[in-house]
Amino acid sequence: MSARTITAATANATIASIRARSLALTRRPAHWTRCATLFTCRSPLEPPTGKLYEGHIPISPLQRSILAVGSAFTALANPLRGDMVAALGETTGGMFLARIRDQMLLDPEGRRILRERPKITSESMQLDALRQLPDGTFGREYVRFLDDQQVSPDTREPVHFVDSEELAYVMQRYRETHDFYHTLTGLPVTVDGEIALKWFEMLQTGLPMTMLSSFFGPLRLTSEERSRLHEYYIPWALEYGSSSKLLMNVRWEEWMDRPVEEVQRELGVQPCPQV
Amino acid sequence: MTAGTLSHLAAAVRTKASTASAARAAFRASSPFISAQRATSTVRFSSSSQSGSAGNDASNSLNGTPEQYDVVIVGGGIAGSALACALASGRASGTQKIALIEAFDLSGHMQWSPKPDQYSNRVSSLTPRSVLFLKQIGVWSELDLSRVAPCEGMQVWDGVSGARITFDGADAKKDSTRSSFLRQVFSGASSTPASSAEFFDDQQQQPDFSKEQESSPLAYMTENLHVQYGLQKQILAHKARGIQLDIFERTKVQDISSNTSSGQESDASVDISDWPVIQLDNGRKLQTRLLVGADGVNSPVRTFAKIESLGWDYSQFGLVATLQIDPSTSTAPDQGKGIAWQRFLPTGPIAMLPLNNGFASLVWSTTPKIAQDLKKLPAKEFCALVNAAFNASPAELEYLCKNIGPDGQPLVDFQSEIEWRASVQDAEKGGINRGREDYKAPKVVDVQENTRAPFPLRMRNSNSYVEDRVVLVGDAAHTVHPLAGQGLNQGLADVECLARVIEQGLLSGSDIGNIHSLTPYSSERFFPNLAMLGTVDKLSKLYNTDFGPVVWARSLGLTAVDNMGPIKTEIMRFAMGLEEPTSSRRV
Ligand SMILES: Cc1cc2nc3c(=O)[nH]c(=O)nc-3n(C[C@H](O)[C@H](O)[C@H](O)COP(=O)(O)OP(=O)(O)OC[C@H]3O[C@@H](n4cnc5c(N)ncnc54)[C@H](O)[C@@H]3O)c2cc1C
Repeated sequence: MSARTITAATANATIASIRARSLALTRRPAHWTRCATLFTCRSPLEPPTGKLYEGHIPISPLQRSILAVGSAFTALANPLRGDMVAALGETTGGMFLARIRDQMLLDPEGRRILRERPKITSESMQLDALRQLPDGTFGREYVRFLDDQQVSPDTREPVHFVDSEELAYVMQRYRETHDFYHTLTGLPVTVDGEIALKWFEMLQTGLPMTMLSSFFGPLRLTSEERSRLHEYYIPWALEYGSSSKLLMNVRWEEWMDRPVEEVQRELGVQPCPQV
Repeated sequence: MTAGTLSHLAAAVRTKASTASAARAAFRASSPFISAQRATSTVRFSSSSQSGSAGNDASNSLNGTPEQYDVVIVGGGIAGSALACALASGRASGTQKIALIEAFDLSGHMQWSPKPDQYSNRVSSLTPRSVLFLKQIGVWSELDLSRVAPCEGMQVWDGVSGARITFDGADAKKDSTRSSFLRQVFSGASSTPASSAEFFDDQQQQPDFSKEQESSPLAYMTENLHVQYGLQKQILAHKARGIQLDIFERTKVQDISSNTSSGQESDASVDISDWPVIQLDNGRKLQTRLLVGADGVNSPVRTFAKIESLGWDYSQFGLVATLQIDPSTSTAPDQGKGIAWQRFLPTGPIAMLPLNNGFASLVWSTTPKIAQDLKKLPAKEFCALVNAAFNASPAELEYLCKNIGPDGQPLVDFQSEIEWRASVQDAEKGGINRGREDYKAPKVVDVQENTRAPFPLRMRNSNSYVEDRVVLVGDAAHTVHPLAGQGLNQGLADVECLARVIEQGLLSGSDIGNIHSLTPYSSERFFPNLAMLGTVDKLSKLYNTDFGPVVWARSLGLTAVDNMGPIKTEIMRFAMGLEEPTSSRRV
């Protein structure tokens, strides 16, 4: 079931019941409505926008809350539900996405990314060409990672619920560049590796979805993984997450032929200690 | 009145030992009732006098012995000059011997001959209350009203969240008959704004602002130079009709002391040993019954009186400039005529105040560095940046401000960067279903040459406004952030009050330099000024952040107030000077 149908179903059911209840209130006095407008500029039952971009699903504030709570529970129960993790990030991230966008606006590279809106697909990245690069270059290690994991840049969930065309792009970019982070940090795609990366991202971006995962994720670890996380990964994330350059301002596409160490040096990130 | 005193006075008149007391004598003679009252205080003073001598005229003209005055005003800014005018136009205070001392030029203001297509960069919003006072002292009628721009409405919004509040002068009038909420809260009384007209000879037209129906400006945008021009003309007129008003311009106060070694005696009846002595840089000395500090934020008079002044410097400068705008680009009704625009940015508020003929006055409060950079930026980029400051996101502005080179040269293409962000913003706005579209400020097309100037912004409050023989008015007493355009208005309200208190003091025969005669002034002005300072300071702090929860809360509050008609009306009337929490007027 896609995120879209889930939302529509849950939200519509709830909305129906709320409408039924609010019928009783339709005869409220005029000043009541006036008071209400003080605090909510628009109805919580109507989407604040029309369709803004390809794939955009405009949802009302109420649907948004339901989706956020629903996806949080689903994602916690089953972290493999990528669509739910994605929906959680989108529904809760508005303010934080705007913050990241502002950080990008302050940086010449970030501005260039926002202006040109590059997309990362297997086509745009020319994966075959990257496979020809010498070992140790960023591009070569990046495809090696993709091949090992048997993933492709095209398998990312598109953005649906962000009510701003530009912020939807920021979210999209954030998702599309995630794989580069693994290459940069050397963190494995294990549960504790992902959690370490979430800590790193949290310090970089302040996205609430990454916070949730970094706090609640460890509940599902073995004691061995947990001690690795606490002794090595988190201290590493704390050190480099805040001191390194904001990775959202990196035009990764242009760094493919450079040695990984050089990229790490330039961005101020030391690879995570491997145990 | 004792025969002895009378004869002394007569002697004084003959010898002109003290023109001040001569004038007082003349005044007393014209009003027997007052002279009787006056006598008691004269006697009280003569009891402490040491020896009666009426012969210090000679020593006066020699050296060392100070000339005597009833009132010496230090500082010929608008507050000081307005006080001189107000005193000169009072029935009793007009008989006093008054001196006005100003470090810079004053008579030069008389030659002020502005061109219709040029405006000075220092413009103040005068509230209806200030205008009423200027009318009462005969200054308003000296002004060229085609250069005074009524401000009919205000658009104030939060640059981070976009929350907006709009004020419309007409709304403030609608409810003027209703008893005021603020007044009830602050003072529990319902009185009309005090009119001091009764104290003044120049009873010109006395417009009752609360009765004017059609036009009801919130404020009147007036060049400070223009007000000064009116003041100096009026001062000259008072001098011409024989008021003893001595102007010491291009003269600095060098020193003020409380005691002189010799010549404490004036016309024998009054002990003047506690009268302050003012040493001027032209070698002259003045001694005065009452010393008024209208000498601005760093007031030497305040220092002399050892009055402590607390406060802080905002690490902000206010950059002023005269702008040329294209009114047709505003989406507000009537091309935004008469609308003042103010947007709060995390670095400080930016305000565009309406002038006539397609001009506007800018006050942009920002960091000292940005203010300096803005001053050096080429005109084209400067205008683009001002437009962006009213429209673009704070992050965008920060980026542009960071890209001003050391010599003021733009390091990126401002035009193209701003256009790109505007197009993104427009695209986003297109999709949003908003109830009403916010009005847009007019586009700035040019900046008048040599009008960009930064001023440091401060907040100061004197612990008291009066000491024995010393009183403070205007910026000397209190300095406020310009975001609400109240500094000068507060100063004029001080002056109106002080002139009234002095007049009343004279009429009741008290020594106007005595701290007890001055207390009504301080108790009437201290609290309202402090309330204004506090409010403006809180506002400035509240808006000087982009911290999420604070932005959220302040936006909620602003939207709420914008929807609450009555409270909004109160705020407007408060800011227009139509309401003021007072303590003394209750009686
Ligand atoms: C950017 C900016 C915008 C503003 N906008 C507004 C507005 O819109 N509305 C509003 O109401 N207010 C506004 N204000 C505030 C207003 O300008 C001041 O409150 C007002 O000018 C103070 O007048 P004043 O006469 O008390 O003091 P000042 O104008 O400072 O006058 C003091 C005078 O004393 C003289 N002096 C000082 N020391 C000596 C000495 N030793 N000997 C002789 N003379 C001396 C000085 O030369 C000076 O002329 C603004 C202020 C700023 C900085």
